[in-house]
Amino acid sequence: MSGARTLVVWCPDWPVVAVGADAGTPAAVVSGGRVVACTAAARNAGVRRGQRLRDAQRHCPALDVHAEDPQGEARRFEQVAAAVEVFCPRVEVVRPGLCAVPARGPSRYFGGEQVVVDLVRDAVAALGVDCAVGVADGVFAAALAARQEPAGAAGAGVVVPPGATAGFLAPHPVSTLGVAQVRPETAATRAEADALVELVGLLVRLGIRTLGEFAALPAGDVLTRFGTAAAAAHRLAGGLEPRPPATRPPGEDLGASMTLDPPVEQSEPLVFAAKSLADRLHSDLAARGLACVRVEVEVATEDGRRRSRLWRHDGLLSSRAVAERVRWQLDAWRTGEPGDPDALVGGVVLLRLAPDQIVADAGRQLALWGQNMVDDRVERAVTRVQTMLGHPAVTRPVLAGGRGPGEQVLRVPWGDRLEPRLPADGPWPGRVPDPAPAVVPPSPLPAVVTDESGRVVSVSGRSEVSSPPAWLTVADGSPVAVTGWTGPWPTLEHWWDAVLARRRARFQLATADGRAWLLLVDRSRWLVEAAYD
Amino acid sequence: MPVLPALRSLLPGLRRGQAVSVDEVGALATALVAGASENGAWCAVVGLPEYGVLAAARSGVSLDRLILVDDPGERWAEVVAILLDAVEVVVLRPPARPSVTEVRRLSAFARRHGAVLVVAGVPWEGAQVRLRVVSSVWTGLGDGHGHLRSRRVRVVAEGKGRPRAEWLWLPGPDGAPTPAGLATVDDHEPVVELSVAG
Repeated sequence: MSGARTLVVWCPDWPVVAVGADAGTPAAVVSGGRVVACTAAARNAGVRRGQRLRDAQRHCPALDVHAEDPQGEARRFEQVAAAVEVFCPRVEVVRPGLCAVPARGPSRYFGGEQVVVDLVRDAVAALGVDCAVGVADGVFAAALAARQEPAGAAGAGVVVPPGATAGFLAPHPVSTLGVAQVRPETAATRAEADALVELVGLLVRLGIRTLGEFAALPAGDVLTRFGTAAAAAHRLAGGLEPRPPATRPPGEDLGASMTLDPPVEQSEPLVFAAKSLADRLHSDLAARGLACVRVEVEVATEDGRRRSRLWRHDGLLSSRAVAERVRWQLDAWRTGEPGDPDALVGGVVLLRLAPDQIVADAGRQLALWGQNMVDDRVERAVTRVQTMLGHPAVTRPVLAGGRGPGEQVLRVPWGDRLEPRLPADGPWPGRVPDPAPAVVPPSPLPAVVTDESGRVVSVSGRSEVSSPPAWLTVADGSPVAVTGWTGPWPTLEHWWDAVLARRRARFQLATADGRAWLLLVDRSRWLVEAAYD
Repeated sequence: MPVLPALRSLLPGLRRGQAVSVDEVGALATALVAGASENGAWCAVVGLPEYGVLAAARSGVSLDRLILVDDPGERWAEVVAILLDAVEVVVLRPPARPSVTEVRRLSAFARRHGAVLVVAGVPWEGAQVRLRVVSSVWTGLGDGHGHLRSRRVRVVAEGKGRPRAEWLWLPGPDGAPTPAGLATVDDHEPVVELSVAG
């Protein structure tokens, strides 16, 4: 089947546009040391996508460098999508910078594809965003058509007539196969992008340089020789559709709700109702091939109040598991502090489960031996504790980079994914030597270190100790004799940053009560950073 | 559940359903659960915001199976009860002196779910085994030079039978607890012993 008529709006160099760079000045967006996108001015100076930042700056020393901001790109593109949606309600955002709409309906309503193209162009231009529009059979051909439009000119869009798509595609090089790809950000999409790059390289080595030549190969042979991904690319090259656009009519309510009359006080019937609601919700989603990232539990009581709470779902929870979360939530709301105005009192009149953030259900593959799966029992218990104490109260430790013992561990709330900002295995000159202290207070405790004559020991700017430490007093405790000491170990951290910069010195002290301490002198104040017992 | 080899002479293993009390919150409590954690048990640490995670990792606790609840607040007993149902070992420091009913309830919970409750820093009536550090010496520090290397401790385990005592390196030179018999002391590189405490 050849692709349905599709209109594609393409905003060139979207990552640079989204960070607010002006097309007239050389600017680039960089990720992992390589250029992801650049402005026309930078391109004229010799900057290319995929180039290393160092090379790009050699070509264009005045280059304005921005870090990649995927969330910002998506957020700003939402405005463009909303502007397009005014004319064609079923917008599919392929990736920030590229969106597609089925063209057949709007073109019949407005009286021709060319009219729709002009309307969309004007609407997007009114936002101050430069865009190109193409219409063809299928998203891929339409995206290529949009790229044909001369940049910057007040063009009229490129409309490939119905049925002429295969001919339009034929002269294009095979390397254009990736133009309508989703953004390679997850492992699965990245693997897909890599597979396509590999396929293109292979085709070129085999002497197949244009889409027309690729499309001329028999489909069966392409499938058996190169696999399913190549077969999809082969269909694209022939002007066919690899998959229909996954659009959803706006405003469709996939939530499931139940009105309870008479109002229900006990948890049991509510949990039972929640189970059947969850069944309905899951089957509705499954029938559309969708999954939800979160599920919202909403409860309305007799006194007219509504409460709701989001639970992470990821398409992984069974109906029983959802019902169990409803039970915990009800328990948590009911057993608030006595006299708490937010406590749930009275009967429940409405129970509603609504999916939040719908995604296509790609299915999931469990690890062969289940290594990556957190024990179900543990997961359940932790979620219950989180209901009682709040999400950040339960954490799991992650090792991070740093010099002091407190900096080397991050406590990440359970269920969140957080990569440490600094790598743990990098070289950290000046790191406190092993063994690691067993007691690390969340914030350093005040202390006083004095010498034999009772004067506070100080450290000079040249790292000289005024006199050997003899007595240590921690917080409000009584003084303990120092039996061994070492230091100062000066550290000058973040000297390039006026706010974070600190110049400190560390000491290790052993005291007569058999304990050992890691102390810190910061602006002539002594602090206990950790204890070694 | 197994314990680290260095601790075997003090207690042969952690029995499921047992409550153990430890007098200090630091290295000894960590060393006690490291053996179980190495062998695939999940551990939860409740009410210890100063828990030294890095030291725990060095002594063998698996960070992938470690849950931290730093501040359980007023409902700590309920939190521990929920966790005892799910994980194998719970290390707990009760916020204040726990009431007799709470002690009894949690001990019963541990017994019923076959989990080990390690109570650190606070006396616990229901403990079958009590571990205490009676002597501790840090080595490696000079007078303005050197750095801390290891600590030689004498740990006493009191239970039903005769109390048992053992010398340990806690932590040892490589961060993990090791037995400190006289032979080990001789093998150990010459260090300056500076402090002795009872």
